[in-house]
Amino acid sequence: MRIPSDIKYIRKVSAEIENFLRSKNIDESYIFYIRLCAEEAIKNSILHGNKGDKGKSVFITYSLKGDKFNMEIEDEGSGFDPLKLPDPTKNENLLMEGGRGVFLIQKLMDKVEYNDRKNKVSMIKFIKEKKGGRDAN
Amino acid sequence: MQIKQVEKDGIVICYLSGEIDINTSPQAKKFFDKLIIAKKEKILLNFKDVSYVDSSGLATLVEILKGLRTYGGKLKLVTLSTKVKNLFEITKLDKLFDIVADEEEAVTSFS
Repeated sequence: MRIPSDIKYIRKVSAEIENFLRSKNIDESYIFYIRLCAEEAIKNSILHGNKGDKGKSVFITYSLKGDKFNMEIEDEGSGFDPLKLPDPTKNENLLMEGGRGVFLIQKLMDKVEYNDRKNKVSMIKFIKEKKGGRDAN
Repeated sequence: MQIKQVEKDGIVICYLSGEIDINTSPQAKKFFDKLIIAKKEKILLNFKDVSYVDSSGLATLVEILKGLRTYGGKLKLVTLSTKVKNLFEITKLDKLFDIVADEEEAVTSFS
């Protein structure tokens, strides 16, 4: 899927992912956290990767193979290093207003990788149980 | 997102509903800025009907807290869903915010 760099498209993408997961009978707790990670990554691509340039796009792919949900978000920016962001959970950073999106992705997904250019993030979440099962986190 | 405001015994109780995310956060910020300008000292946010919060929503709540602290105002959050509360715990914002189980307990603890 490809969207322009405009935050109004974020929910459209996450709703499609939610519907896909629901069609696969995935528990709502997984859907909540996967939606959050998708939205955070797309938001970063739009605002930081593509710097809000509506002429640039964000590319989203996702799949579920067995228990492995894979999602990739790529932008056309020159890359910002999300791993250089300060830890928002340190006492001195708790009052920071930003910087929690990347942190949440790293905590809520099972595997998170960036390409060398840092304009593409690949995330994996293992769906351990389906509807009515154990909580996702 | 919708916010219904009730004032009782000097406590402003705000019933939030819907989603607090990048799209709705500016609306929430605008609403709470008015309470901060009015220097409301005790604000209680009831999250019972909040189904989703993202990092922009968390950032807005931090902004509100910082605004209140400039004049000694107090903020309490009640009835968060397990998933939303979990976001506060993961980000350690549960150390910054006063999260209380229910409205009655929050009202009592203000005094």
